[in-house]
Amino acid sequence: MRLPFSILLSCFLFSPKGGLADAPYDQVQDNPTWSHQNLDDVRADKYFHESTFAEHYDGRFGDRKLNYDERRGHLTALMQTYISTMNDIGAETWIMHGSLLGWYWSRKILPWDSDVDAMVSEQSIHHLAAYHNMTVHTFNLHNDDAEDNSHRSYLLEINPHYVNSSLDEVNKIDARWIDTTTGLFIDVTTLRRNATADALGIDGSMMVKDRHHYNYDDIFPLRHTTFEGYPVKVPFMYADILIEEYGEKALSDVYFENHIFDAELREWRPLRYAELNLYQNDGAVMDAHYWAMSIASLYSPD
Amino acid sequence: MTQKLGQEQVEEKETQYEYTPQGPGLDTRQHMTTSYGHKPLIDQVTNGWRGDVKIPEDSGDYEPGFCDIEDEGSCPNVSRDIVRSRRFRRMLALVVVAAILAYYAWQAYLRPRLLEDWEFKEGFMSGRGNGTYGMARSGDFDGTAIKDIDAALVPGGKADHDGKRRLVFIGDIHGCKKELLHLLDKIDFDSAKDHLIATGDVVSKGPDSAGVLDELIRIGAESVRGNHEDRLVEAAKTMLDDDVDVPSAAITSKGSSKDAALLKHMKPRHLRFLHDMPLMLRIPALPLAKHPGKHHIAEEITVIHAGLVPHVPLEKQDPYFVMNMRSIDHKTHVPSALHETKKGNSKPWFNIWNWYQDRIDRGRSVDGFHVYSYAEWLGKQASHGWFEKVRHVLPSKHNDKVTPQVAVYGHDSKMGLQLHRWSKGLDSACVSGGHLTAMVLDAKGKTEITSVKCKNYK
Repeated sequence: MRLPFSILLSCFLFSPKGGLADAPYDQVQDNPTWSHQNLDDVRADKYFHESTFAEHYDGRFGDRKLNYDERRGHLTALMQTYISTMNDIGAETWIMHGSLLGWYWSRKILPWDSDVDAMVSEQSIHHLAAYHNMTVHTFNLHNDDAEDNSHRSYLLEINPHYVNSSLDEVNKIDARWIDTTTGLFIDVTTLRRNATADALGIDGSMMVKDRHHYNYDDIFPLRHTTFEGYPVKVPFMYADILIEEYGEKALSDVYFENHIFDAELREWRPLRYAELNLYQNDGAVMDAHYWAMSIASLYSPD
Repeated sequence: MTQKLGQEQVEEKETQYEYTPQGPGLDTRQHMTTSYGHKPLIDQVTNGWRGDVKIPEDSGDYEPGFCDIEDEGSCPNVSRDIVRSRRFRRMLALVVVAAILAYYAWQAYLRPRLLEDWEFKEGFMSGRGNGTYGMARSGDFDGTAIKDIDAALVPGGKADHDGKRRLVFIGDIHGCKKELLHLLDKIDFDSAKDHLIATGDVVSKGPDSAGVLDELIRIGAESVRGNHEDRLVEAAKTMLDDDVDVPSAAITSKGSSKDAALLKHMKPRHLRFLHDMPLMLRIPALPLAKHPGKHHIAEEITVIHAGLVPHVPLEKQDPYFVMNMRSIDHKTHVPSALHETKKGNSKPWFNIWNWYQDRIDRGRSVDGFHVYSYAEWLGKQASHGWFEKVRHVLPSKHNDKVTPQVAVYGHDSKMGLQLHRWSKGLDSACVSGGHLTAMVLDAKGKTEITSVKCKNYK
């Protein structure tokens, strides 16, 4: 098929530095009014770019960093819509890293988290790339804070460098699930066979392009569970993976980033100002203050 | 005019104020020369008081003080004499030797003991660090988490007044059917009065998993769920469809493809047996057991596959760790499937378990230990009055709510048979050429260990 010359010319003129990059702003969005994407990255081959105002936002779709409450609401919706879509497509995906830690503690995204992490299998990424690249999925979300109680759209963009299994400094992320209202996204990476280990005869060795290494038996068979109220899968040896990545304290500390884990509700919540003083001045004293603080949310009006 | 007045005044004074100056208290203002010829009063001042005061003179003897060197009885001289004496030097030598011995005794024996005891204790103490294991929601368990044994099977229980029944605990069988039959024969297993409880991992790795399951079903045995059963139960959810091929080991792993092949051979009764395995099995204290000790169990028994974290309630234990743990981080009490984690604070879980059960068996208090629910914390607040505090200092025979329990487990073939007062590890690495071990518990609480040698199936 012969492409018209004008299209070829515009592709040449508007693509940054001549290499592959994520779809140009004017082809995907007209709100915000101009692109906040940081395209000044000197590394030509880098496909996905981040915004100029913050690291975990896509500048083509967002123009500002969200505050704590907005971010929590949007991240939750981001996760739920991703899970729902992947279940519908039938792609095998599971949550990892920060999201897995949130699942372990409270079956919810950790409140201070600014992104969501998911992984897919090699079969899944091939299927998604072949049939679902650049698809936009629109959901009707019923929120309590009903400013945009209407539709939200999510873009699934696959990095063409996913076919390359070798370690790549600039293209570690294989796909993104992007919230077109705010620019928040989910980084999706692929769990691949570790070809070098296979050649050496090591059994079941897997790797990810962002330099994580796992054993096949650490991840599979995946466990069926729930996260943010939706059915998800988690790796088989979830606890040891979390300890390996974050250390034992990640599974035992109940105070973190000015949040406290409310053991009665089994959820993380931010410390109130008075509690913050208690925590900072008296040190993190479990038991004596912890249980008093833990039930504060149940017995005092927020 | 003034002059005349002055003279008159003086004359008047003479008649009115006639007195002779005597002794001290003289008003020195009156030393003006008077015209009537008296001596100046100052001359009549005697200063007799001057004789009472001794004026220290620069020359001559003075009284030696307490610290003066010249005096024989002064402090420095006396001290010097003592130090020079033989008796004192002997005593000093003894004291120095005793101090050196005490120092080495401390360094070599006492201090390591105290440090070790503290290392065991610190993970329990609330107020140290930011939190502890057992607070997070942790994983899910698909099945019965805690099961209490059928009362009719308890030796010496309601259905066994004669105390003839026995309980037989067997470690990781891993599909070694021949060895299992040999062992049951060796202990004279009689399914009418004996009940077999396996500690999990009865399948996988070995030659005849389906055969072992059939045998267990036949004799009415039960088992707790092990990590390999966990794998099979989870894999069964997706791999049982007829049109799903067994993926090769090249794209998965050796263990996984073997498990998939095994699943294809299993019948519904096998899968049901696997799914019915609880996470933990509780056996109450045997009514007829009297003398607890290392070879007698008179306390409650909990059977699990891999381990338990002490002091954490059973409901709060993460199912993954109950089926996989081999060690505990001694500061946070977070377990791990590895023997040693990157942090380097790992201890074998049963060491901390035994330390804790010993402590509550001796009646030592667990005040200041972590609590895991608001209700428990409220209870502790109530017992903070002065009387309660005094009561808790004295060791009591039986600590109110917490009773010690014995843990029977398998899973750790590297550590092999681990028989302690409060924990019995029965995995003696049968499938890799070790032994298959059984612990037989009779109604009196006596335990007997029997093993058979296994072939190496690895």
